[in-house]
Amino acid sequence: MSKKAATNAAKDKLREMQCKFNPLSRSDGSVMYSQGATVVIAAVLGPIEVKTQNLSIEGSYLECNYRPKAGLPQVKERIREAAIRDVLELALLSEAYPRSKMSLQVQELEDRGSTDACALNSACLALLIGGLPLKYSFAAVHCIINEQGEFVLDPELNETLRQQASFTFAFDSVDGNLLLVQTKGAFKIAQFNDIECICRAASAQIFDFYRSNLAKYHGRSAENDSSSTDLPMET
Amino acid sequence: MSANTSIVMPGERVTSVEDVAKGKRIILGPGLRRVDDKVVASKAGPLRHKEPNTFWVDSYQRRYVPARGDLIIGIVKARAGDMYRVDIGSADTASISYLAFEAATKKNRPDLNPGDLLYARVLNANADIEPELVCVNSNGKHGKLGVLQDGFFFKCSLNLGRLLLRDSCPALAAIKDELPYEIAVGVNGRIWVKAHSTRETVGLANAIMTLEHAGYAEIDKICGNLGSVLQA
Repeated sequence: MSKKAATNAAKDKLREMQCKFNPLSRSDGSVMYSQGATVVIAAVLGPIEVKTQNLSIEGSYLECNYRPKAGLPQVKERIREAAIRDVLELALLSEAYPRSKMSLQVQELEDRGSTDACALNSACLALLIGGLPLKYSFAAVHCIINEQGEFVLDPELNETLRQQASFTFAFDSVDGNLLLVQTKGAFKIAQFNDIECICRAASAQIFDFYRSNLAKYHGRSAENDSSSTDLPMET
Repeated sequence: MSANTSIVMPGERVTSVEDVAKGKRIILGPGLRRVDDKVVASKAGPLRHKEPNTFWVDSYQRRYVPARGDLIIGIVKARAGDMYRVDIGSADTASISYLAFEAATKKNRPDLNPGDLLYARVLNANADIEPELVCVNSNGKHGKLGVLQDGFFFKCSLNLGRLLLRDSCPALAAIKDELPYEIAVGVNGRIWVKAHSTRETVGLANAIMTLEHAGYAEIDKICGNLGSVLQA
């Protein structure tokens, strides 16, 4: 499938998004989210008890962990964590629960490109499912400029091997403000502006995806029941 | 509830509530907040309204946030001076004074051990102080509150707890026709059940858990099948 995508000229569609809510039984909200072949699980806990050293009387303390598919988190994962935490700090209404902790865990299951964006989108869905108070929801989009100078939105991993520049943008759902910009490589400012426009347009698609899936979750029918009854009982 | 309920998303302005607010005072429940003179959602879910003037956003949240007057089930964690520490599933552990039981005096302490289940009422709930519980009403009587002996305890979503406690919920009445039982439902998403035998108790617990993700419409159908669930 990736071969076909690579031969295509400038790709301006996001890969197919899918999600499954609450795959984990013990977290306050969790989601398995996939964008194309990239799959992550995000889980939130909160508000929960906080260690005294992290306690804040003005707002809740935010903890964010990113686990790679195998092995221990390295520098790359720490950077990712920091990026996720930066966006979450903007979006979370932390003053609602002072003296508490919000904890987010992201587990990468399959890295096939755009993992940064994928992790952020799954984090947003997990927060929405967990019922944590948010100022707005957010969506992240990844885009690259390939060797031919074409823009490729939400690229596959093999497409990113030969790239001139890569961009990750995150937008909020209310005003469409930029929450995060990550760039790598050489590009012209005009290209940056074009790609921001492309990503902004694509983020609307992600917000629609959030809304339709949450509406389905809240109005769900009996068919989903079988999956929920086999959850292990917590005593 | 239709399959595609219209929902509000965090940050969304809820103008329908603002319109009502022009005419009278309104109460904003969980998931709604006031920003200047706008009403903005902070959670995702369907907007609910209760006559005359209460609005909130429904959600299948699993984390309990204490509120004054809630009836909850807690687990005794430790004894601390003249208090017991009780886990109620919220961010902070709650505390209950040993004098907050019927006929308790300084001499006559209630005999509670770590691991005991308490059916209690939240006396005090505030974001900045730890929640406080009581096991007596304002007349000093325990009523239905107190330690839960034997039985079987399990956790569920907060939604299921609230659903079972609703006056109009047919589930408990339907189970009553199948077998005699006792139940304590905490709005912190914890349920305790007790029937004559272990077999019946487990069947009962399973029956209640099948209601977990049912909408209003499906409850009747599921309750109709409870008999077969219990026999199985």
